[in-house]
Amino acid sequence: MKKHLLSAFSLLLVGTLVSAQEVAFEEYDLDNGLHVILHQDNSAPVVTVSVMYHVGSKDEDPQKTGFAHFFEHLLFEGTENIARGEWDQITAANGGRNNANTFLDRTYYYEVFPSNSLEVGLWLESERMMHPIIGQVGVDTQKEVVQEERRLRVDNSPYGAFFEQLLKNLYTKHPYRWAVIGSLDHLASATLDDFKKFNKTYYVPNNAVLIVAGDIDSEKTKKMVTDYFGPIPKGADIKRPDIKEDPITQTIYAKYHDPNIQIPAILLAYRTPGQGQRDAYVINMISTYLSDGESSKLYKKLVDEKKMALQVISVPIDAEDYSSYVVGALPVGENSIQDLKKEIDEEILKLQMELISEKDYQKLQNKFENMYVNANSSVEGIANNLAEDYLLKDNTNLINTEIDIYRSITREEIMEVAKKYLKVNQRVELEYLPEQKDAN
Amino acid sequence: MKKYFVLTVLSLLMTASYAQIDRSKQPKPGPAPEINLKEPARFELSNGLKVLVVENHKLPRVRIQLTIDNPPILQGDKAGVSDLTSSMLGKGSKNIPKDDFYEEVDFLGANIYVGDQSAFASCLSKYFPRILELLADAALNPNFTQEEFEKEKDKILTGIKSEEKDVSAIATRVQTALAYGKNHPYGEITTEETVNNVTLADVEQFYRSYFVPANAYLVVIGDVEFDNVKELVTKYFTPWSKAVPPSFTYSDPTDVQYNQINFVDVPNAVQSEVAVENITNLKMKDPDYLDALLANRILGGGSQARLFKNLREDKGYTYGSYSGLRDNKYSPMRFSAYAQVRNAVTDSSVVQILEEINKMTTEPVSAEELANAKAKYAGSFVMALESPETVANYALNIETEGLSKDFYKTYLERLQSVTAEDVQKAAKKYFSTTNARVVVTGKGSDVLENLEKVSFNGKTVPVLFYDKYANKTEKPNYNAEVPEGIDANTVLEKYIEAIGGKSKLDGVESYSMVAEAEMQGMKLELEMKKTTKDQFMQDVKVMGNSMSKQVLDGDSGYMVVQGQRKDLSAEEIEKIKEESSAFPELNYLAAGNVSLEGIEPVGDSKAYKLKISDGKTAYYDVETGLKVQEINTQEVQGQQMTSTLGYGDYQEVSGIKFPFKITQNMGPQTFEFMVKEIKVNEGVDASDFK
Repeated sequence: MKKHLLSAFSLLLVGTLVSAQEVAFEEYDLDNGLHVILHQDNSAPVVTVSVMYHVGSKDEDPQKTGFAHFFEHLLFEGTENIARGEWDQITAANGGRNNANTFLDRTYYYEVFPSNSLEVGLWLESERMMHPIIGQVGVDTQKEVVQEERRLRVDNSPYGAFFEQLLKNLYTKHPYRWAVIGSLDHLASATLDDFKKFNKTYYVPNNAVLIVAGDIDSEKTKKMVTDYFGPIPKGADIKRPDIKEDPITQTIYAKYHDPNIQIPAILLAYRTPGQGQRDAYVINMISTYLSDGESSKLYKKLVDEKKMALQVISVPIDAEDYSSYVVGALPVGENSIQDLKKEIDEEILKLQMELISEKDYQKLQNKFENMYVNANSSVEGIANNLAEDYLLKDNTNLINTEIDIYRSITREEIMEVAKKYLKVNQRVELEYLPEQKDAN
Repeated sequence: MKKYFVLTVLSLLMTASYAQIDRSKQPKPGPAPEINLKEPARFELSNGLKVLVVENHKLPRVRIQLTIDNPPILQGDKAGVSDLTSSMLGKGSKNIPKDDFYEEVDFLGANIYVGDQSAFASCLSKYFPRILELLADAALNPNFTQEEFEKEKDKILTGIKSEEKDVSAIATRVQTALAYGKNHPYGEITTEETVNNVTLADVEQFYRSYFVPANAYLVVIGDVEFDNVKELVTKYFTPWSKAVPPSFTYSDPTDVQYNQINFVDVPNAVQSEVAVENITNLKMKDPDYLDALLANRILGGGSQARLFKNLREDKGYTYGSYSGLRDNKYSPMRFSAYAQVRNAVTDSSVVQILEEINKMTTEPVSAEELANAKAKYAGSFVMALESPETVANYALNIETEGLSKDFYKTYLERLQSVTAEDVQKAAKKYFSTTNARVVVTGKGSDVLENLEKVSFNGKTVPVLFYDKYANKTEKPNYNAEVPEGIDANTVLEKYIEAIGGKSKLDGVESYSMVAEAEMQGMKLELEMKKTTKDQFMQDVKVMGNSMSKQVLDGDSGYMVVQGQRKDLSAEEIEKIKEESSAFPELNYLAAGNVSLEGIEPVGDSKAYKLKISDGKTAYYDVETGLKVQEINTQEVQGQQMTSTLGYGDYQEVSGIKFPFKITQNMGPQTFEFMVKEIKVNEGVDASDFK
């Protein structure tokens, strides 16, 4: 009997080892509402300290767009204890690096350090949360920087307005309808009080998650977290209006002329479920199957075999309330964007009418597993995933279980979801064209 | 009620407990972290293969790395055989054809690489058994065929050919050949001749001799179980026959007796490659290893280092200047400090590099430099530890370099304890400014005169001469006298006569050209149209899509670069007008402001050098009179950019000779345009310039 038990136990062990991907973590709240997630992994003396704030472009006043992204810049300007311009110097002198990014639903700040500088990281991030300096000098400086960034990334960049144009056509009520970078006019006319108010509303501990990942001593770290973040006062509860879009029932045709391009593009965009939902995972698989990378169906057909397209585009935009799936292509030579649309539609139709082959399905599974594994190959990646899983998908443990969702998706489900969401009459067709010139 | 009270007190206590920290100052970093390196588990096969297994179940993936730690191999008159062997491995096996092999690896989402003395694979752990099997099969049962051999040999020969005039390639070759000697494994030169000496049988022999388990280490790291690895590795690698590689004798490289410049004349060079080198004897296990690394980092380890700051930021001589210190347990190695510099500052760069090295040996580095170098080193050392490859390499280094078990565990501590004196001592030991060999590869006619005047520490540094294959040679003779009666006008007239004569050229009102080149496997198409009425159009297409286009129509014009259109400025219009005339020599002759600068070698023949403007020189063959080369220099964002156009294969169209082969060198890139079509007075329409 005892022997039997033992072998059952060791069998179990083998079982966990085979599917092993155990990112151990613990999570708790401070009194001020700050959610803390610790991931201890002492295999390398590296530590990531990061804070994700639950504020993105969707939280902006429609008359004051671009604020969330602007804050990402502003909050490197210094705090009551860190002088202007010192943030980067402190990071470098400790052998580390830092950065930040903003999206529709959230803003993320992080530092990566050798683990003996953990406390420096906690100090930096708690300073940013506790008392950043929001003053005229910083605001004026960063207004310039953000204007330059918009010019560089959107206005003067070939195909730079893709994102903005798609969102604008795909959403009519939901604040996803404007781009993260927002409007330069809104920013230019914003006052110091507007910024202070935005900070007071969203940059509060009860609207954020702190991640400390890597080579830490969990107990000591908890103490330091309390020391640095505990004194930060809790903010008011945040109200988020629940805005629902009416379904698209007739194809929305749109055109945009980009002065920076010569080769047109066709873009087909679908509104799909929010990122936590099962169907969103299926859409991700479809996106990969159709248009991600050189072994995808559309790339092989349009670029390799028929040589009709210069490039195939796939932009799955994951977000909390709705996701968006965009597929498109740039023609080569004499081919028109209408020809490409026909070819893409043919492939989507196939997906809706037939099961994908067993071999393609298995290859897809292998691809997802690889992507999933590599996303967690550094503490920097793990910290980011922990933050998003908690903040945007309400389940921190997805870091360990998300792959099971992909594994459980069947070929039949792929067909069903393609049928349900990728209908021609439910999409935006954006013709993204070079600027027209008068014939001469 | 009571319970409630206790809780309140507790929370009060907690509030009190976080009031102690001082936020006004940056917290001090703690002591250097201890490195928790996994101790690999080991076993050895009966054939001598040593296996290291690092279990790491954090991620369900595995990396497999095979290193064969053979002493350096002397290839002699068959130099290139190791490259050839390498390029033929990892392409299927005797049991599985190449295409099937690639497809299976792709399907599994894995990577497999096999080199002549190494192999590597990465995959999800569930495919580990199959990937290990495929790797072993490809490594142990290679399918060497005559067909693949010819294909790979052609590739290597093409590579050698394309580097014939490549100044960087010549410079590197001569630097190593002079430092180590041509009969040393690290100094021998692979040439067309030695590659042609290699047969398929030599490749098979090379593989049999050196791809052997005597010095081989297989490292498996990731989500695996030791017992399972042992079973599978034993199964797949036991068939590997036991053998020891042949050994060689060759003499160790030594330093030169006194400081000297070794000059290699490359007439087509538009920049000089300068490298100051000496021989060092550094091994990882040496106690001053870290001191030496820090010395090198402070001297030339990046954009914060002295060489970069001096030669680029302060003097603007170069785009970058760095130094490299190499360690090796088998052989003394080369230390070098180097830069690619403008011709005019070649001599000054030599002096500056020598001065910087000298300063390292005579003065202690500043506390700030030392602290920053340490922070950078510590930071990158620590960050690198995250990658499983690094962990594997460390385990391997401890094994193969004879390091102490705690070498990496104490790495950061030892790094922190290095002092400025230690760094200076290491600099004195490993850098030399008394027995330094300064290899300069460049255009002698431009740089040699000043180079011969270089003095350092009060002594003139003698110049010795070498050819492109590091053989001693005579000083080149640049004083090819321009014959009596020859001036710029006679050169231009001879050229015009050679291509068809003035009356023929005057009759040309328009012409169009289509040419093609290959760029990384893609077709590059060049279309150009010109008329005598200041009309010009040039369109460069990549795979049928326009990448850059310039259009000029009289006094207005525009250019489109990667989809971005921009009108030309007045200055740009003037420039293009100069270029756009069908035969600019007619204008030069009329204007009379061109000067004859002398005779210089271009390729294998001699050419008259005409200075057209400050940024442009043109070369006309002394014998044929034809234009063979044009060099354009311009300043782009503060950097001197030089582009060289070579003209060849002249063919007649409508009675006029046009070059049908145009080579363009710009920085590291070379394009060879082959002309497909030239039309004179047809095929050009006014609408082409709209």
